Amino acid sequence: MTSANDPAVHDRGTSQIRHRKARDRSVALLLLGGVLLMPPIGAIFLVDTTLFGVPFPLAYIFVVWVLLIVGGASLVKALQDSDGLHPTTDTSDTSS
Amino acid sequence: MLSVDILLTVCLGYVALLFVIAFIVDRRSRQGPMRWLHSPVIYTLSISVYCTSWTFYGAVGSAARNGLEFVTIYLGPTLVFVGWWWLLRKLVRIAKVHRTTSIADLISSRYGKSPSLAVLVTLIAVTATTPYIALQLQSVTRSYQVIAGESDGITTAFWIAAGMALFTILFGTRNLDANERHHGVVAAIAFEAIVKLLALIAVGVFAVWGVAGGLGDVFADVPAEAIRGAGDIFGPRWVTLTFLSATAVICLPRQFQVTVVENIEERHLGTASWLFPLYLLGISLFIMPIAFVGLKVLPAGSNPDLFVLTLPLSEQQNGLALFAFLGGFSSATSMVIVAAIAVSTMVSNHIVMPVALQLLSVGRNVRGDVRWLLLTSRRVSIAAILGLGFLYFRISGGSDALAAIGLIAFVGVAQFLPSLIGGIFWRSANRAGALTGLISGALLWAYTLFLPSFGGDFIISLSVITDGPWGIAALRPQALFGLTDMDPLVHAVIWSVGFNALSFVIVSSLTGANALERLQSALFVNVYRSVEEDMSNVTAQTVDTEDLFVLAQRILGQAHAARLFEEMARAQGSAHDLPQATDTVVARLERELAGSIGAASAHAMVTRITGYQMVGMTELIDIASETQQLIETSRQLSEKSAELERTAQELRNVNERLRALDSQKDDFLSQVSHELRTPMTSIRSFSELLLGDEEVSEDQQARFTSIIHDESQRLTRLLDEILDISRLEAGLLSLPLEPVEMHAAVTAAFDSIAGMTHSRKVEIDIHPALTGLMVSANADRLRQVLINVLSNAVKYNTSAKPRIEVRTVTDSKEVWVDVVDNGGGVTRADAATIFEKFARGNRPSTDQGAGLGLPISRAFMNAMNGDLTVEFVSESVSFFRLSLARAEANPAAAQ
Repeated sequence: MTSANDPAVHDRGTSQIRHRKARDRSVALLLLGGVLLMPPIGAIFLVDTTLFGVPFPLAYIFVVWVLLIVGGASLVKALQDSDGLHPTTDTSDTSS
Repeated sequence: MLSVDILLTVCLGYVALLFVIAFIVDRRSRQGPMRWLHSPVIYTLSISVYCTSWTFYGAVGSAARNGLEFVTIYLGPTLVFVGWWWLLRKLVRIAKVHRTTSIADLISSRYGKSPSLAVLVTLIAVTATTPYIALQLQSVTRSYQVIAGESDGITTAFWIAAGMALFTILFGTRNLDANERHHGVVAAIAFEAIVKLLALIAVGVFAVWGVAGGLGDVFADVPAEAIRGAGDIFGPRWVTLTFLSATAVICLPRQFQVTVVENIEERHLGTASWLFPLYLLGISLFIMPIAFVGLKVLPAGSNPDLFVLTLPLSEQQNGLALFAFLGGFSSATSMVIVAAIAVSTMVSNHIVMPVALQLLSVGRNVRGDVRWLLLTSRRVSIAAILGLGFLYFRISGGSDALAAIGLIAFVGVAQFLPSLIGGIFWRSANRAGALTGLISGALLWAYTLFLPSFGGDFIISLSVITDGPWGIAALRPQALFGLTDMDPLVHAVIWSVGFNALSFVIVSSLTGANALERLQSALFVNVYRSVEEDMSNVTAQTVDTEDLFVLAQRILGQAHAARLFEEMARAQGSAHDLPQATDTVVARLERELAGSIGAASAHAMVTRITGYQMVGMTELIDIASETQQLIETSRQLSEKSAELERTAQELRNVNERLRALDSQKDDFLSQVSHELRTPMTSIRSFSELLLGDEEVSEDQQARFTSIIHDESQRLTRLLDEILDISRLEAGLLSLPLEPVEMHAAVTAAFDSIAGMTHSRKVEIDIHPALTGLMVSANADRLRQVLINVLSNAVKYNTSAKPRIEVRTVTDSKEVWVDVVDNGGGVTRADAATIFEKFARGNRPSTDQGAGLGLPISRAFMNAMNGDLTVEFVSESVSFFRLSLARAEANPAAAQ
């Protein structure tokens, strides 16, 4: 029998919360990327200036791109951690 | 310009290097697993077959023509990989559980292992891949011509195609199981991925800092329009391209092959989720600078699709140009090799195999080596696919813009998307819906984009493209039903993918699915829940395991089959024999076979031997659970409604009782007022007479006053009784109990009514003498009850010689006092009502009371833990009985 005070249960709880947070953030990141790179928001940055010699729209897209990569990379560990913790059950599956 | 000899030497040397790498890795990996080949980095590099020569050469061309638009081709995949947790992970898991060999296999397996869907998807894939392969041939041929000078393009393309076919056949068809990676090919492709990235970056660095004077100089005179392209940045075409590239990175047969089928560990996907977008970013970094430097430096009219080559050449950087050529060569060959493997697997599994099944009558009598047949068909398919690509290249004569050809393929494979996404997230998606969607989408794609891409040279003529078939303008391929003023690509996507998705959803929701489809839909959609399905015996049918073993040998090879069956036998606990053909064994075998020949063919073969479709217990439960839930819900509902029914009935009963009580109260009140009214009336009338003007004699005065006195006494008594009964009924009256001598109580009662008994000459008989018999009672109240009962016996006695008998019966605990008179007693009908308030017996009486005496008496008796009842000797003879508890003689009370 396990109880709420059991450290293993506590760890699992924390890890599950961390995992859910990571999933939420992955959705948020995806939405953010979609909004920033798609019309109409993307078109706001079509301005005729340069940034360190690079046309602003070009620089803008690459900056968002880097943000997506860094954001995605920062979530991988949290997403995979509790994946290994529950090899047979998956809390993310709500389709059923 | 480089000499042809040097170019050929370098080219052949490079190809030889690829062969050597593939050969060494292949040999080494057969001796033991090579750790570095199983790393997530190699996995990511193999995914980079996404960047073909279209990227290598075409992206620069696209940037020169349409500005920023080229990045959409890389933004789509970036978004898909950033969101890997939601889609790619599920695809990979499903492919692992079901041992999927290709996208056609996945779709057919999902929709009830349907062979027709597998064929359809394969045909679409072949059609879409053909122009893409042609594009690679074209770019390699062009780049060769640029470096080596004009040469016969067709011959060059032919030799390139032949070389690629040879490489793919040699290293891509080593084993049948698509889930087992082709290590040699993977190593070669990873190597090529690095070469093409480095080559493009090298050219970029040279363009920015070698030709121009840094980034600022590159973009110094570039007008904003050049960055924005044709002014459609962040417009419909932008969205469409991003959608298409996102779709392509999942649905392109070769991408599905490297990302999903050849994935070794699910964790690798996590690394690829950021490393692959990073690779794409690296590839895209110098595209725009190369394009603008090329536009500035190279003479007007130069083909921007070849800037990557012509820019170093124009600056006499032959070494760099050669490196760039190898980069382009790498990107083209890696794409062709993987695409050929992926598509040939589909063709052999879904088209050749079913036909062979019919012809060779594989099944109970397995004849012929199926492995050999499969491998041969795969090799022939590879050659055929490259042949088709070459043919397309010849017919189309080479379109000017590479990007356009690639996009045709993208839209073609985008037709898989609705069935694929719907299949893994939507339980109700079914075969009919997928078939309808795919067919309608593919037809619309062919009509609006694929056929017009030949510019009128293939099937449809130029006049049909510009004016519509038979001159009907509404049917113009690029302005269907009057949708003009639209980019042809956006137009084609809206019609084909839109119609595809719509008909898929509508048909799926209108039609049903058979058992196998429903089973597969449950397994696919809920793939995370049923990791290890427990196949229990659902059908007890004996299957000859030997048949299965022979089948397995033919397809998996002797060693593999023996290993598999030994393992299954061990799992069943028998060391020497073949395993029992339980459903678990059959299902396992079918999955193993599916890894080689696809789900549909494996299912067909195994079903032929076993003669039944097996469904695992868990899957049955999975399917049944839905029904079960519905049943459970409706059961709960009916329970609830029954409970409500009961509650309502109880409420009705309570209400009924309340109504009765209410009417009793009303009756009581009206009775009370009636009873009070009679004495009041008499008191009032006599007082009026006394107060009146008329003379009243002394005698009359005395009589009237006496009547008034009597009536007021009666009134007081009545009010006392009402007070008593209400307190008794409310339980407010508590009577202190004490030992009372019964005899004294009876005698005292008779004394109280002595006047009455004397005037009626009543004979009294008390026996036996009750002296010393003690009861537990309240002396005053007991006397009141006795007076009431005895006076009733006198009042209602109609006999000429009235007689009252008081008998006492006793045991150790109780005392019964019976009051018997000879006046006829109470009838049975009266007995039921006399204890109710205001009820009177039907016996005539000279002095009618209010009818409260008996109810009060009984209430008093009850309050003293006793009772007052009417007992019947016969129908006509009855008497009153008082019951009381006995009390021990108490010296104090006995006095």
